[in-house]
Amino acid sequence: MSQKKHWQSFGELNNSDEFQQSVQDEFREELPFASGDKGFLETATPRRDFLKYLGFSTAAAAIAASCEIPVKKAIPFANKPEDIVPGVSNYYATTYVQDGDAVSVLAKVRDGRPIKIEGNDLSPITQGGTSARVQASVLDLYDLNRLRYPTINRSEVSFEAFDKNLVQDLTGLGGAPVVLLTSTITSPSAKEVINQFLAKYPGSRHVVYDAISHTGMLLANEATYGKRAIPSYRFDNAKVIVSLGADFLGTWLSPVEFAKQYSKGRKINEKSPEMSKHFHFESVLSLTGANADERFLHRPSEQGAIVTALWNAINGQGAGNITDKVLKAGIEKAAQTLNQNKGSALVVCGSNDTNTQIVVNAINEALQSGGKTIDWSATANYRQGIDGDFVKLADDMNAGSVGALFIYGANPAYTWFDSKKFADGCKKVKVTVSFNSKADETTQLCKYVIPDHHYLESWGDSEPKAGHFSFIQPAIYPLFKTRQWQDSLLKWSGATTDYLAFLKNYWIPKLGGEPAWDKALQDGIIKPSTEPIPGGSTFNSTGVGAAAAAIAGTKGGNTELVLYQKVSIGAGQGNGNPWLMEMPDPITKATWDNYVIISPAMAKTLLNIDLGSSSQADAYEVHPDKKMVTVTVNGKAPVTLPALIIPGTHPNVIGIAVGYGRTEKIGKASAGVGQNVFHLSSLANNAVSFAVNDVGIADAKNTYKIALTQTHNVITTPQGTRTEVFKELTFADFKKNPGEIREDREKELKPWGGLEKFESQGTLYQPFDKPGIHWGMSIDLNSCIGCNACVIACHAENNVPVVGKSEVLRYHDMHWLRIDRYYSGDIDNPNVTFQPMLCQHCDNAPCENVCPVAATNHSSEGLNQMAYNRCIGTRYCANNCPFKVRRFNWADYTGADSFPNNQDQQWVGKLDDVVHQMNDDLSRMVLNPDVTVRSRGVIEKCSFCVQRLQEGKLKAKKESRPLKSGENNEWDIKTACQQACPADAIVFGNANDSKSAITEMRYQNLNRTFYALEQLHVLPNVNYLAKVRNADETGENKAEG
Amino acid sequence: MHLKYESQLREPLVNGDKNYHQVTEDICRPIEVRPTKLWYIGFFISVALLLFGVYSVYREVTYGIGQWNLNRTVGWGWDITNFVWWIGIGHAGTLISAILLLFRQGWRTGVNRAAEAMTIFAVICAGQFPLWHMGRVWMAFFVFPYPNTRGPLWINFNSPLLWDVFAISTYFTVSLLFWYTGLLPDFGTIRDRAKTKLRKKLYGIVSFGWSGSTKHWQRHESLALVLAGLSTPLVLSVHTIVSFDFATSVVPGWHTTIFPPYFVAGAIFSGFAMVQSLMVILRKVFNLQDYITLGHIEAMNKVIVLTGSIVGCAYLTELFMGWYSQNKYEQYAFFYTRANLFSPYGWSYWGMMTCNVISPQIFWFRKLRRNLYVTFFMSVVVNIGMWFERFVIIVTSLFRDYLPSSWPVYYSPTIFEMGFYLGSFGLFFTCFFLFAKYFPVIAIAEIKHVLKTSGENYKEKVGDIEKEPVEEFAHQYAH
Repeated sequence: MSQKKHWQSFGELNNSDEFQQSVQDEFREELPFASGDKGFLETATPRRDFLKYLGFSTAAAAIAASCEIPVKKAIPFANKPEDIVPGVSNYYATTYVQDGDAVSVLAKVRDGRPIKIEGNDLSPITQGGTSARVQASVLDLYDLNRLRYPTINRSEVSFEAFDKNLVQDLTGLGGAPVVLLTSTITSPSAKEVINQFLAKYPGSRHVVYDAISHTGMLLANEATYGKRAIPSYRFDNAKVIVSLGADFLGTWLSPVEFAKQYSKGRKINEKSPEMSKHFHFESVLSLTGANADERFLHRPSEQGAIVTALWNAINGQGAGNITDKVLKAGIEKAAQTLNQNKGSALVVCGSNDTNTQIVVNAINEALQSGGKTIDWSATANYRQGIDGDFVKLADDMNAGSVGALFIYGANPAYTWFDSKKFADGCKKVKVTVSFNSKADETTQLCKYVIPDHHYLESWGDSEPKAGHFSFIQPAIYPLFKTRQWQDSLLKWSGATTDYLAFLKNYWIPKLGGEPAWDKALQDGIIKPSTEPIPGGSTFNSTGVGAAAAAIAGTKGGNTELVLYQKVSIGAGQGNGNPWLMEMPDPITKATWDNYVIISPAMAKTLLNIDLGSSSQADAYEVHPDKKMVTVTVNGKAPVTLPALIIPGTHPNVIGIAVGYGRTEKIGKASAGVGQNVFHLSSLANNAVSFAVNDVGIADAKNTYKIALTQTHNVITTPQGTRTEVFKELTFADFKKNPGEIREDREKELKPWGGLEKFESQGTLYQPFDKPGIHWGMSIDLNSCIGCNACVIACHAENNVPVVGKSEVLRYHDMHWLRIDRYYSGDIDNPNVTFQPMLCQHCDNAPCENVCPVAATNHSSEGLNQMAYNRCIGTRYCANNCPFKVRRFNWADYTGADSFPNNQDQQWVGKLDDVVHQMNDDLSRMVLNPDVTVRSRGVIEKCSFCVQRLQEGKLKAKKESRPLKSGENNEWDIKTACQQACPADAIVFGNANDSKSAITEMRYQNLNRTFYALEQLHVLPNVNYLAKVRNADETGENKAEG
Repeated sequence: MHLKYESQLREPLVNGDKNYHQVTEDICRPIEVRPTKLWYIGFFISVALLLFGVYSVYREVTYGIGQWNLNRTVGWGWDITNFVWWIGIGHAGTLISAILLLFRQGWRTGVNRAAEAMTIFAVICAGQFPLWHMGRVWMAFFVFPYPNTRGPLWINFNSPLLWDVFAISTYFTVSLLFWYTGLLPDFGTIRDRAKTKLRKKLYGIVSFGWSGSTKHWQRHESLALVLAGLSTPLVLSVHTIVSFDFATSVVPGWHTTIFPPYFVAGAIFSGFAMVQSLMVILRKVFNLQDYITLGHIEAMNKVIVLTGSIVGCAYLTELFMGWYSQNKYEQYAFFYTRANLFSPYGWSYWGMMTCNVISPQIFWFRKLRRNLYVTFFMSVVVNIGMWFERFVIIVTSLFRDYLPSSWPVYYSPTIFEMGFYLGSFGLFFTCFFLFAKYFPVIAIAEIKHVLKTSGENYKEKVGDIEKEPVEEFAHQYAH
């Protein structure tokens, strides 16, 4: 045997002390933990330790937030619960509730944190659809500006002290009435709780206040149908839809539900083409108006006259009282079409005026809509507030006859037009209690503040429609010292049970036992036991004539104003949510601010900007500085805002979005953007009217920067219309020649072998085989309503950073998926086309061959993939992408950079507060751990949710079966955008699978299928289905404007 | 290499009564005396600019490319504009030393040293831009094909950016060698004249032990010829490859087959303009009017008017092809975004047209060609024009490409974006000032080479023979 000594290190050779020591240690090499003499809390968080710290902070936050909860409820991973696997998501059915809105959703929970909201497919109402606001609600859970503990007079107190003080104060009221002021409550059990509470205090009452109320409709229905309720609308049963200013796809009542229904009428079966016809009458272009087949402009003051004219026209008397020829013809045409489709026609109206709604009811009655397109058997509970009740409350408060005011969900100090009166009244109320979760304008007036849970921390139920229930269950322990408002009310009414017990007691007997309750929670919903049959209601026509007479003659001034809600912000609920603030408005494409919308005609006279001149249009487009205008309404504080020129606005009308001008208390993202214009609304006929019939508007001789994400709006250039970008045609044309689009493509590609051989003949190279899975996506431009739900879903799923207004101004927005909006036709009343644009995953991708380091390359499954680690940031790929979908990390937006402390640049490229807010440990809890957070200097873009693809493939593999991508509506994989879409416009799957939904979709729609910029031979894996506008004219509506 | 006799009709290449010693004295003097005040002022301004550039780059590397105003549609702006501009300038030196050497153009001897130095420095400046414009410059080494542990992950040979890496590094290496080879005999001269030990030692090291032996000269000449042969295709290839960055893309306005010759012509155009700018100053400051004569200036102005006209033809061809292709995207790029003065960047296109095509036409006039003021002014104008050309190609094409939805807000640079450009000037002039101080700015050995055929006094001496009858002349001088 050799005596040769083998040694691994000099230490071993010399048998040094250190070596001896290291042999005894469990780990020979030093472990890469934060070392040195610094304490654990002082050490900086290196990137590699991100997840570790994230986990720690999550646990710490959870423990800190639940310090009053016995420790036994914490989950020790040493005894792993059966249903929690680290790294595997759990989904809990719950319900998004905000004010009266209720959408059944699933909360995706990863390692104890809700990170994503998905629609609940089981819900018969929303059928899995969501909206941008629903998608963004998960971020509200981690909002830095949530109130974190109860306060009395702004100083922190314990729950016990709070309860004690409050009960003391309440007993000292001496019988003065107690008022509970809430936004619409859809929860039956919460109503029970309210009743119990009110019963404890005789003379007390519950006032429902909706920021955007439907008083007119509720009262009109009471007058004509004897029910103070809102029926269910069935847009899916309507072949003809006439909307009189109701933005039912964007903000009116239940847009998710309506979008789902509406899209059913917009899907075209190529074999027997049929689609609904949508007339729209409005003053300022809304999301719904943008989707209309025929759209007519009017002044807001004319709405009554138009409703009357439509009613007359339907009754065969013509629209004689309308002077405007186009409008008159439009009304008569709408009336004629409606009359031809009695029983499958629907007229909806966005007015908050009782008389107007009475006439609308009469119209619907004449069209036999009841029981067909209007369902009285299941009334909707979305809005219950009556403005008159609140007027009375404000009066009572000012008269000193309210002893205590409890406020939940309502924020009249911000949304009420006479907020000062409410604020003054608050001072005269002895006890004011707010349950609101942020220090909003109303909460700041209150003495007692006991913040409510976020809905993802709550228990509860909701009855959006009579007979339909949706349940709320917590997806995370409460993060802060908050308490559900129902719990508080129960406590103060002397009940001994908490709300969870109350809820169970309420439901278990109804459902017939604990298992049924568990199932209801698991499903998240309870359907009516039988398939609901739409029912009508008896119509009482006595008041119609008087109502029509009352509304027909309103006169407006030279310029009129419409206050509208943005899809993202609503009445201000979305304000403070960075995702929503940075979401481009579907119509104006503006982020962050509100502004005055003016027509091109008004721009010419008022601001001297002529969009007809290409140089002026260019100058207007390329400079974010927009001229400001001052809007004055008689006797009210004038508002000075920048003006955006939006085609499709009535020449005498301006529009301003409500919901802006909030304070830093709502969020760092809210302060300093936009202005509040609620005070410009007024009370008319005892209901709040958001139209002002006479306003003054003047050039303020100043400019203000507006961050737009799209500056140019038409595909027509002096050198021709870029029909390769998207294709649209009229329904008449489509019926006449269904193959028109296909023939167009054939003609375009003729020089390179035509449609069939384009792939092989359009190139010098050999085409590749595409064996196995080949991912593909199909987007139906006819179904897409442009609501942006997918944009926010993508934000949440893929950790897309928020960059703040200053960066959007520099065109640095990071959206992986955007919705391009194009106008065509008449500039005063254009046609609008929405085109969701995301990485097209080209099989012959121009971005791939230009990357010097092959950081972006093609997967064998057809994905154009990004290796962030490999990217050196030359941006060549972004330049060479014809779709401009690649996004570069211009600064350290995420804090994931290898350079520490580099977000503090002060001069050039100063990052807005919101970026820092999104980098806070709390906000970062929303990050999806399956998706890398990108560092500065790399390109990122849509990955087709590759993390979902991998998960889905793995699932199929584990079950040894082929992947299900849509066959029989079974899905292993849905991309985030597809899942979120309320209109089912997006279909995704394996295009090599002959039975998949994507193959089916392409095969069924051969005539409408097209690829964007197909002639470039980049061979996209995303196809579009052409937009079909249901207009009678042929050719006229083709994109040429 | 040269004719033993040069016609009187040809202008002398060296003016004045010079002999070999005088040439050495004239050219070595600036190196051996203390620099003038003017030199110090210029040097410190250059260093200040350089430092601002360094700060600008520091900001950009620390905080990200967001320090510049590039955006999601215009991904390249001043950075690549400056890169192509500097690379273009870096073309004249090698062209003068290599191609003109092969073409036996004697006049190159007066300007080749400085022009080559300019080339080296311009390429150094150019190289900064593609390097520091990277989002993650600390990963820049990924562009090199080095053995790594990343398995099959290799660079992408399809990418024109990668071709750039090789083209530019090759060009830089060959230009540097060529330049240095030429410097060797002159360093030897300076070493031999050195009065201090340190000086002797340093110039001794850099002269690689040049002794002036015949063997040295023979090898030197052969090497120069080989390198000239190597450089010649490089002069054409580098800018061709740079133009591929654009030509191989799908962007309307970039995707153009005319780019390689057009870029090369443009590069020579701007390179000569830069040489002019420098020479006009250099000959004055260092009193070298006898070596860089008006004849030299005029010769270079001729090149400028030729290449300027080639570039002009290319511009017009582009417009024609834009129309002829009937491709609406291309037509939009050429006729709306560029040729339309009232479009957002119309000014840059017409700025380019004025500076590059219209104004150089004044050099058809001999009087103006030989006017120093006009020459200097025009050389600056041409370089501004050539900067505009690159800006037009890069920014206006990207600014409005296929999808109108992505047409961005107006792109204009930030202070640090400009700072980087100013910094490159700082780098260039710092190098150039140091070069002028420590290096012989004119190739002493090569001037001596042509002195006896093309020097003014020598020509005068043999002037009389032109009067001789042809037979006699032939008898005496023909081989």
